[in-house]
Amino acid sequence: MSHLHPNTSATASGNRRHRKVSLVAGMEWAIDTSRTRLVVSAVVFALAFTVMAVRVIDVAILTGKNEPRRAQTPATALPLKTARADIVDRNGVLLATSLRTQSLYADPKYIPDAHRAAEQITQILPHLQPQQVAEKLSQASRFVWIERNLSPRQTYALNRLGIPGLNFKSGERRVYPQSALTAHVVGLSGVDDNGLSGIEKSLDPAIRSNSAPIRTSIDIRLQHIVKEELQAQIDAFEGIGGVGLVLDVNSGEIHSLVSLPDFDPNNFAAKSDDASFNRATLGVYEMGSTFKIFNTAMALESGHVNLADGYDASKPIRIARFTISDYHAKKRWLSVPEIFMYSSNIGSVKMALDVGTDIQQGFLQKLGMLDRLPLELPETGTPMLPHPWRQINTMTIAFGHGLSVTPLHLANGVASIVNGGLRYQPSLLAQPVDAKATGERVISAKTSRDMRRLLRLVVENGTGRNGNAEGYLVGGKTGTAEKSGGNGYNRKSLLSSFVAAYPLNNPQFVVLVMVDEPKGNKESFGYATGGWVAAPAVKRIISRMAPLYGILPIDEKSPEIRRDLELKLPTPKGKKRRASF
Amino acid sequence: MRRSMILWLGLVVLSAASLFLIKTEVQQREDQLTALHQDITRQQQAIHVLKAEWSYLNRPDRLSALIERHLDLVPINRGHLANFDALPSRPTGSTPVAPTKIVSVREQQ
Repeated sequence: MSHLHPNTSATASGNRRHRKVSLVAGMEWAIDTSRTRLVVSAVVFALAFTVMAVRVIDVAILTGKNEPRRAQTPATALPLKTARADIVDRNGVLLATSLRTQSLYADPKYIPDAHRAAEQITQILPHLQPQQVAEKLSQASRFVWIERNLSPRQTYALNRLGIPGLNFKSGERRVYPQSALTAHVVGLSGVDDNGLSGIEKSLDPAIRSNSAPIRTSIDIRLQHIVKEELQAQIDAFEGIGGVGLVLDVNSGEIHSLVSLPDFDPNNFAAKSDDASFNRATLGVYEMGSTFKIFNTAMALESGHVNLADGYDASKPIRIARFTISDYHAKKRWLSVPEIFMYSSNIGSVKMALDVGTDIQQGFLQKLGMLDRLPLELPETGTPMLPHPWRQINTMTIAFGHGLSVTPLHLANGVASIVNGGLRYQPSLLAQPVDAKATGERVISAKTSRDMRRLLRLVVENGTGRNGNAEGYLVGGKTGTAEKSGGNGYNRKSLLSSFVAAYPLNNPQFVVLVMVDEPKGNKESFGYATGGWVAAPAVKRIISRMAPLYGILPIDEKSPEIRRDLELKLPTPKGKKRRASF
Repeated sequence: MRRSMILWLGLVVLSAASLFLIKTEVQQREDQLTALHQDITRQQQAIHVLKAEWSYLNRPDRLSALIERHLDLVPINRGHLANFDALPSRPTGSTPVAPTKIVSVREQQ
């Protein structure tokens, strides 16, 4: 302050005390004004600093309510995000994934020498034609694609060329490491990352929202076994296609679903219509004799027929312009187990007539044979029903003609028959280990037990002997259906199938193999029936898969097994039933 | 007056210096963190690619072809499995059998 005014009298330098300053007379008001201003600004500043101090204490020491306990880490630490979630099998093996790839494009304006550049590029990408690339590189446009989805190695090599005007755009590509093996289950997705078929399409929203991988119920090892064995039969009998299915009878989970021919989803441009057709879930077929499983179960369940009954199967049945006869004709009275064992059409028809059309319709409805299956695939077929359902339809449906269902319908129906009588929804998604599937009762546990005995009988003594995988208590039924052609049925184009369940003392799996249009060969003595074509494949599938699933072979001759599964064939002396015809 | 002034000035310089040091330290660590995150993302991508390759190389048909070519293994069948009950009980007083030459399954059959 001493410099403020020349008239200020400063005190001795040693004295620290403030001294009143004396002023020129008449100027006191100026001092007062400036003092007031000083005080005001000092107060303002003091207040401001106090506020800041309080705020510092608030920020540094006190914690707010919504304040996170820890510093937030930047968002870059998030797990890898892809456009579509992975699809894995029941054991976590990768079936479909999205990989980041680079695509090469060029801005021709900056390419110094189109021909030289084209030559260099085609050395790294040998499948491209140098001339075409050179043409692209000398176009007038400012953007041309050269090649999409390069491998990391190709990207590196192209980058090393150092050609100005070449650029990369990163994108994602759907990759199916298992190639064709799960083509019909997983399906495929297109270039715009949208699902086109299979699970990729049906679960598209879930796959896009990209949470956890989608875990399917398929077992890739089993899928391989089924495909290999099915392909072997198709090759041996010159079939045009086939279906292989393995179903868990106690949950409805589909462990294997094979439809041949199939396609490589990594190269879907090359697939044919036939290869992309899912015979297992979309194709509907008249299944033939395998339907006698349902016919017999229905007859036993209805109470109209029991295992000791029988029918006269000596003469073919003639109705309207049809003649129903037996393929393995015995020309005599047959008991119900024999009708099943020898796959007698005549006996089956008489059984169905005894039960009646209404009960048959209701029974098949309960088994799910008349409706489209709710499956996690867009490719599901709707059964083809007779309309109206006359007596003649009741008769033909008894041996599996006149009603077309998908092979999955058949396998799921058989599962319900053998598992104690409960119907589960088939599913392609793995169920949690502790989940207990709830089934809907279709037949009684007793009928189911009887049916297991009958199925065992077919494999031990009947048409399904070739399907007997020893030690695994296989039971099954063969089916050989004639495919309907332009007018009537074609004796030469068959649909041969074998559907089996095992182990019958405690059923776990249903295995279905169907071959489309097999031709008989020397080993099968010219036969192309289900017992010769499909049963051996089922036998090999079961013997190969059982060790994988920890199912131990058992002594089929042990007394307990015999007591549970053996059946005494009734004789004609028994309670003979009058023939309805 | 002067002493307290020096004290305060010292404190101001000290706090400014420490603030500056902390700030640069934090910046450095943040850069480090970003680099690490980028590295993690790169590694995740690499793992992702490797997983796809692993699945591709472990295709069952490829494995079975390789096994056929290079190994003596055959698929497990009924004959390889037995219950404990089916094993004969060990004769009493016998000495452990010396290990014999390992014979491949294929040779045995």
